[in-house]
Amino acid sequence: MCLRPAAALVAVLAAALACDAGLEPEPICARGLVGLCGTIRFRGAIPDSTADVAVVAYATFPQSCSDLFTFRPLLPPSVPYTDSVAAYSLTLAQGRYEWVVAVWRKTYPPLTFTVADTAVLRAAGHFRDPADTTQPGAVTVTSGPAVGDVNFVVNFDSLRPVSYYFPCSAR
Amino acid sequence: MSGRAVRLGALLAFLPVAAVAQGGVVRGEVHDPRGAPIRGAMVGIPGTTLYAFTDAAGRYRLTLVPPGDLVVRAAAIGYAAASATVALAAGDSASADFALEPSALELAPLDVVSTKMPRFGERATTSVAQVTPREIDARAVITIDEAIDKVPGVQLLNGQINIRGSTGYVQGLNSRVLLLVDGVPLNQGDRGGINWDLVPVDQVERVDILKGAGSSLYGSAALGGVVNLTTRGVPSGAHVRVRLTGGAYADPPHDEWRFRNTTGLLGGVDVSTSYGTETVAGRLALSGRHSDGYREQDERDRWQFAAKGRWQTSPRTRLDASGAWAVDRYQVPLTWCLRAECDDRGQVYQPFKIDVAERGARTDSRKGYLMAQVRTVASERFAWQARGSWLRTHFTDYRRTASEYSIANRFGAEVRAEAHPAPTRTVLVGGEATLSDVTSDIFGTHSQSEFAAYGESEQLLGAGRVTAGARLDYLAVDGGSLTAVVSPRVGAAFPVGEEGRGGTLRMSVGRGFRAPTMAERFVHTFALGFEVIPNPTLRPETGWSVEVGHTTPVLGTVRVDAALFWTEARELIEPTLVVDTAGAAQIQLQNVSRARIAGLDLSLLAAPIPDHLTATLGYTYLHARRLAQGGSPAEPLAFRPTHMLTVTADYRFGRGGQVGGGPLDFGADFRYASRPERIELEGFVDSRRVAVRVLDLRAGWSHGPFELRLLVANALNYIYNLVPETLAPVRAATVTIVWSY
Repeated sequence: MCLRPAAALVAVLAAALACDAGLEPEPICARGLVGLCGTIRFRGAIPDSTADVAVVAYATFPQSCSDLFTFRPLLPPSVPYTDSVAAYSLTLAQGRYEWVVAVWRKTYPPLTFTVADTAVLRAAGHFRDPADTTQPGAVTVTSGPAVGDVNFVVNFDSLRPVSYYFPCSAR
Repeated sequence: MSGRAVRLGALLAFLPVAAVAQGGVVRGEVHDPRGAPIRGAMVGIPGTTLYAFTDAAGRYRLTLVPPGDLVVRAAAIGYAAASATVALAAGDSASADFALEPSALELAPLDVVSTKMPRFGERATTSVAQVTPREIDARAVITIDEAIDKVPGVQLLNGQINIRGSTGYVQGLNSRVLLLVDGVPLNQGDRGGINWDLVPVDQVERVDILKGAGSSLYGSAALGGVVNLTTRGVPSGAHVRVRLTGGAYADPPHDEWRFRNTTGLLGGVDVSTSYGTETVAGRLALSGRHSDGYREQDERDRWQFAAKGRWQTSPRTRLDASGAWAVDRYQVPLTWCLRAECDDRGQVYQPFKIDVAERGARTDSRKGYLMAQVRTVASERFAWQARGSWLRTHFTDYRRTASEYSIANRFGAEVRAEAHPAPTRTVLVGGEATLSDVTSDIFGTHSQSEFAAYGESEQLLGAGRVTAGARLDYLAVDGGSLTAVVSPRVGAAFPVGEEGRGGTLRMSVGRGFRAPTMAERFVHTFALGFEVIPNPTLRPETGWSVEVGHTTPVLGTVRVDAALFWTEARELIEPTLVVDTAGAAQIQLQNVSRARIAGLDLSLLAAPIPDHLTATLGYTYLHARRLAQGGSPAEPLAFRPTHMLTVTADYRFGRGGQVGGGPLDFGADFRYASRPERIELEGFVDSRRVAVRVLDLRAGWSHGPFELRLLVANALNYIYNLVPETLAPVRAATVTIVWSY
């Protein structure tokens, strides 16, 4: 009988210890995501004509207008841009991506998925090579954990037409 | 009743010295059945002012003892109290030795917090918890707060103490708990907070914690409770004590949290030497400590000097003086790194890292105190005591953006008289004055005065006890008008059943208060991106506390103590978001809320294998709510867990209750606190938080003058936080070697 309190204490202790692991790592990229994720920091004044901002990835850096719509995913989710920082994640197929870019879209006219869309789309910022920040950074997506820390800045005061990066202009 | 007793006491004080001089001396030793000395046992003559504590050799000495057949009583934590009858002739001396039987279930003599009311208090009227010398030694802690947070119903949030959910958390700006060092209040003069490292840990002998409002005797800051640190006495003869500590912190449990390639180390040395005769005694202590810290930018260095002395000027008068001075330099980890604030390695937060914007932040701190107390036993029925104290704190925070500093002083003086007009009655009256000043670039230059008078009377009724008392405090800021606060309190304790076999029932009702600190009134800084603006019109917080408790033995090997407590608090000071005329949000401390803190404190002490295995379980249920007021709905008080659990077990090989009585001992402490329902400024800070589940393991071995202690704190390396964005300590393994001569 005397040992019952001690046994009860041990039972309470064991039960309490078995329940919780405390604080755990929280990867920026959601578990199970195949693709990449990161943080976008926003600068400048948001244009009144802003429809949305989305992040897309090109497997190879576009060389001409014909490459304009080779990005993935085809229907990218928009990123919240009203705060100074926003997290984003992108589901992508495995492979190497040479240009991860944030695309700003004007409210009007709607997209036609033709070269004419260059009038309403702007490259707002892109991921840079950490070793040479003048160059776009390449990202390799594997079947393992998603690539995190694909961070870059979107500057609403210097939205660039795609022709700034490769020859392509709407007629 | 009180007035008559005081008059009688005053008459007794002026009795001819010759009458007093006829008192005799009772001396002796207190030891366990094997003959090992028991340190810190209280020996005294019930119904008088005469009492003393045993030294490291177990010796005591009572002077001014009246002639006749006397009952002398000895009590110590962990032992059954014992009494002896001594026949003493006038001016003669007598001896009374005690062999106390170990009894893990024996209640401690609960007088020690209320040194203002010395007595053998096996029937206390309110809850008191103790951290015994044995527990402090066995836990081999680095700072004393590490030992305190094992006490049931007590939680430390980043150094800020909560007793039964009293305080919550406002870093560095207040405390609703009063710190006493040898009975002298030493909360900071500017912020009202507590420096737990004010006294070197190796100089602390025991800690006593009064749960609930103690303002009727102690005044401001005792709204939620009182913590008294008792420093080691200075024994006769020459003594040296050396304590070496070394250890290492565990690495983060996940690779993605690693922040350094080396192991974090900690170490320290405490050296003290003392010499004493029956008349004078003194001790000097020096300690140094370094810690690499368990997280990024967490290095700490400290040097501390402490001294204590006693002078028995005459058989009836004793002067004690003590002081300490500490110099600290510590890097400031501040809050943990959130995404993109550092090299986040793809993590939403990095609990071991800090925002790179805070790199290089550090704090230089100097703090110290001086105190002197004189106690005169004018007769066996009357004694008086006077004390003076000075606490100084000085810190400078060096930040990349701005540096902040504060220099504060707290001067205190107190006189009190204690009378025993009858063997069944004790009366205490006193007056206290405190002057605090601050010079700071964030608190300004201000002063605050507090004047108080108090009285308490205790009447024994058979085996029961009734106490009643009150304190009147006057507060003035910068020499302005006085604010008066009255804090009454009544209590009673009675045995239940025939010869008290049903235990003891206790009840108390009291009012507590806390004056706003100068930091709360005048702080002007920036926090969390908001401007923090002053509020000179803050009023004192007040609260009524009620407690009903019952202590009873069960089955001979188990003791159960249960207490229901209830506090109704008004005018609580809390940070509040306000909007200025330009529309900018600011933080200001305001008297905003009424609150109710109620709950159950349950503790169980079991000794299934007496003298070898003891176990304790403490559980506290807290219902802490801010009450609906104006347009604000009721909601949980911030930072209060609903459930707190502590479990402790000790196994000792061999016999003997003291450390060293058995050659080998093992122990474990486990504490749990549920996840707080609410935190302050939720939405503005990372509100990520979890329950607390921490296991400490320890072992000890002693041989002659040597003692070896192993401690693994947070043995499971449970990663948690108690306050937002601040990682609590990870696993640390330390080895402590003590050599005493």
